[in-house]
Amino acid sequence: MSELVSLVERSIELTSGSDRTDLRQRLQQTRARLLDPDIRVMVVGEFKQGKSKLINALVGAPVCPVGDDVATSVPTVVRYGEEPSATLIFPAEGAVDPSPLTGADRVDRRSIPLDELAAHVSEKGNPHNSRHLVAAEAYLPRRILAGGLCLIDSPGVGGLGSSHSLSTLTALATADAVLLVSDASQEYTEPEMQFLDHARRMTPHLACIVTKTDLYPEWRRIAELDREHLDRVSRAIPLFAVSSDLRLHAGRENDDELNAESGFPALVHHLRANILGRSEAIHRRAACQDVAFVMDHLALALDAELSALEDPTGAQRVVAEMEAAKQRANDLRQKSARWQITLNDGIGDLISDMEYDLRDRLRSVQRDAELAIDEGDPGKEWDAFVDWIEQRISAAISDTFVWTNERTQWLSGEVAAHFAEQDVSLPVLRVDSTDDLLDAVDFMPELEPGHIGPVEKLLIGMRGSYGGVLMVGLITGIMGLALINPLSIAAGVLIGAKVYRDDKDARLKRRRADAKALVRRQVDEVIFQVGKQLKDRLRLVQRGTRDHFTKIADEYHRSLAESAAAVQVAATTRSAEGQTRIPELKSRLAEVRGVQSEARRLARGEAPATRPTPLAVIPEPKSAARPAGVGA
Amino acid sequence: MTGVTTDAVRDLIDRALEVYRDDPAALAVLDACYARVSDPLRVAMVGMVKAGKSTLLNAILGEEIAATDAGECTRIVTWYRYGDTPRVVIRRPDGASKELPVVRVKGRLTFDLGDETADDVGRLEVEWPSSTLRDITLIDTPGVASLSAAVSERSLGFLLPEGAPSETDAVIYLMRHLHDADISLLQSLHEGAAGLAGATNSVVVLSRADEAGSGRIDAMLSASAIADRFRHDESLADLVSAVVPVAGLLAQSARSLRQSDFTALAKLAALDRPQREKLLVSADRFVADSARPGSKDAARAALLERFGTFGIRLACSLIKGGVSDATSLSRELARRSGLDELLELVAGRFQARAAFLKADAALASVERVMKDHPHEGTVELEASIERLRATAHELRELTCLATLRTSPPVVEPALVDEAERLLGGKGVSEADRLGLGPDAPASEVEAAARAALATWRGLAGGAAADRATVALCQAVVRSCEAILAASGPGVSAAPRLVLAPEPSRRGWQETGHERRAS
Repeated sequence: MSELVSLVERSIELTSGSDRTDLRQRLQQTRARLLDPDIRVMVVGEFKQGKSKLINALVGAPVCPVGDDVATSVPTVVRYGEEPSATLIFPAEGAVDPSPLTGADRVDRRSIPLDELAAHVSEKGNPHNSRHLVAAEAYLPRRILAGGLCLIDSPGVGGLGSSHSLSTLTALATADAVLLVSDASQEYTEPEMQFLDHARRMTPHLACIVTKTDLYPEWRRIAELDREHLDRVSRAIPLFAVSSDLRLHAGRENDDELNAESGFPALVHHLRANILGRSEAIHRRAACQDVAFVMDHLALALDAELSALEDPTGAQRVVAEMEAAKQRANDLRQKSARWQITLNDGIGDLISDMEYDLRDRLRSVQRDAELAIDEGDPGKEWDAFVDWIEQRISAAISDTFVWTNERTQWLSGEVAAHFAEQDVSLPVLRVDSTDDLLDAVDFMPELEPGHIGPVEKLLIGMRGSYGGVLMVGLITGIMGLALINPLSIAAGVLIGAKVYRDDKDARLKRRRADAKALVRRQVDEVIFQVGKQLKDRLRLVQRGTRDHFTKIADEYHRSLAESAAAVQVAATTRSAEGQTRIPELKSRLAEVRGVQSEARRLARGEAPATRPTPLAVIPEPKSAARPAGVGA
Repeated sequence: MTGVTTDAVRDLIDRALEVYRDDPAALAVLDACYARVSDPLRVAMVGMVKAGKSTLLNAILGEEIAATDAGECTRIVTWYRYGDTPRVVIRRPDGASKELPVVRVKGRLTFDLGDETADDVGRLEVEWPSSTLRDITLIDTPGVASLSAAVSERSLGFLLPEGAPSETDAVIYLMRHLHDADISLLQSLHEGAAGLAGATNSVVVLSRADEAGSGRIDAMLSASAIADRFRHDESLADLVSAVVPVAGLLAQSARSLRQSDFTALAKLAALDRPQREKLLVSADRFVADSARPGSKDAARAALLERFGTFGIRLACSLIKGGVSDATSLSRELARRSGLDELLELVAGRFQARAAFLKADAALASVERVMKDHPHEGTVELEASIERLRATAHELRELTCLATLRTSPPVVEPALVDEAERLLGGKGVSEADRLGLGPDAPASEVEAAARAALATWRGLAGGAAADRATVALCQAVVRSCEAILAASGPGVSAAPRLVLAPEPSRRGWQETGHERRAS
């Protein structure tokens, strides 16, 4: 890793020789990412399955509160730090919802000693998160975390459809990997399988954990049953059976045998090799590519100038080729470029589809609600009714959210493909007298097997842009909108007017009308709020994608423009001056080439034996609610 | 005196049978009604998958006959009722039945359905010569939130039949955590079918309670704290009046504890504590055979399977504490598993008013028949039912309790709770009704009853908001009067029938029983 960092630093130095601030900036970002990769692993599951203890066992310290009754009430991020410490994250004063768009700017942080953390994030110290913490962070000097691994402990979910599970689901979008925890007391239940299916579609890497194997003699049976259930969804999801208590015990007693029995070594290996290792490999290869990319651009200008000096007669041909390539790069920057059209149209379609989908799902909730109101007396069962409708709404939003997320990923893939199709390659210079220039321009695709797809690269940038805050924005869309009981309205009116007459029918009718109006208002409010949140999210994706690719196009354009200018200057240079410049150019070029082949060597040599599976490009998601005839 | 209501209801069903003599469909329902009044109280075990329903059923029976397994196990609604000889019968939805051979594997019954699917079967009926079943019929239901939707459906179909009163009189609801699915199912049960007077007829069991505390020796203390939270949880407040933590596995094994178990446990107890804890550090270590690596110590594996780590720890400390024979160990383990508390609750909540619960359910069924099969001559039946409900105070209490939460009277919320208690919603003994301890002296009981009586008389007589509230207040007043009458010297605490004054309206057909009672 340090080798790579120093290579990036050498490249930064090389760019400072030219005035290419854009290229330097790119490398500086690369360097920052390499130094702090921030690989987020979320631990999710129903409550009382041992999520917090799993994290404690992984890091070998009691960071997350554990207890016999429901313990965790606030999401807690455990990450590397030189000194053990903790930070609480509050919504900033005046900020109602720390939304994903503004996330990092709108929160306040407060440092506390690590041992006080439990008092803030546990159900005991902070029941139902009544202090409204957004999240908490704990820093520990642990080897396992040193690679940038962040473990995120989430409050337990009491069944799908609860608003709790919705906020967990939205947070999944920011995770690099998810560990789904379920204990060995029983096989997967129907709500767990539903959650699993959603999680699988939301995250690039899902692993399942069976906990508490020390307590249940039959844990092997349960693990087998779970495996069978998993196989029906996907065979690629790994399953680990572990005992956090044994691991903690082993840590205290320094007992290797017990540690082996705890099942943790396999899980830790998986985290290191497949989650951390894979993310790291992606980051590495991305860094190598960045270096190679920047070096290509630097080499181009040098090459061009050199060739013009050595063979002034061919200069005009080179310039012409470069102008043509520059034009293509310029086209790519334009709004009319195919990838831009795909992106803009795609997002537009997606927004209207999403709104339609949301509206459609909530309409059906509303229809069912109105039927229920007509069948019964809304006054009598109002509380139960409100619970029911909130559950239905949560479930509907979850579906829309997962679906939108899938389509977003698919769209990013499309855009990336279209961009790659039109990719302006740097022209190969054919200057007869200089043989050694021929193999100069070695294109990115040749970096195989270290090559990573443009989508993956895009996503690295995107996940980072969510900032360190868990996304909790969506949930505020449906919470805190208390429904008023139509019964209390009716009763208030009746008592106030001192009407004792038993006009039951009229009252029931009015209650029904009141209840329906309330439901309609609530559904409208949810469509508005959630629709806005999702739209903001999609706009964020659109901006991110556009900026990502435009920047690349800009860099091409600028490189080509500057190279063409260099050639023209060189062509008119007097040969005497030119002769003195040639050795200087050659030596700089050699340096650039050196860095370039070093980057290529690192990318090739350290790539894992198996080619990483490209991030799944999801085909058209199947959804009954999808309107006919819409698509990218 | 409980027999009076039962007789009155039987008499009423007789008359209904007469009215419907030419309608075979209605007759079948009414026959079932008649049987229901005479049969023992039906208690269903309900909960999510793997909540421990079959295990608890075995514990209550004191015999391990229902099959249990680490995976999902019960797939068909199974009735356990009393019979002189063991018998297993399939009852199909269309009424046909077929006898199955009684096959037991390691004591547990296995049902070989042959080529029939669970859906064809409808339900299984097991007749068993167990003394517990003389008083109570137990119904085991498949878990809700099962991965197989059909299994969950079968349970829901039984608990909340469409357009018919529920077939069960009372529910023991098992939950491990307070899951969304639990709340919604409890809610549906609460509001559900006629004949189920809501929270009155259900107790919640915090099941597999020893596992909440990871099988530690103080696990049941933790479980009690959790049960306490459930009791006060807002989402459950209206649905549940009693929550008991029960370690079902321990309860089941304790009641069938053998001498060989005792010997094995005594051997473990003889080890010193660190040595024992080292064994108990994990299930795998406990069952590993030290002499032959890689193989299991069969005796220990059986012990762990039957008692769990909590049971083993508890038994060891009991034996060290002086329990010296299998019988007393069995008794002590059962007590500490929470089973005794549950059985007491079942006796207090269900059995004490069993006759009325059954009568109430039967009346609801008859009403349903009259609604579904309109027929001449039912007007008089309807009048009789209304009168029976109005005059038998216990039935009125049930009706009031059922509607108390769904359409609350216009009084202060605290008074709604008090009304529920006085009406017997939290136990039917005088002390329970007044919210006093079981050992409260008679004078205190009387004073409390008089105070309650004064409050509710005031409310009933005052300018209450509407008719329903006045009626409720009057019912509570009657309950208070009944408590006072019972707490007088020399009166036993058995459930009583309290009759209202004869209605002044004429033309109602006399059944004769009420008069005899008064």
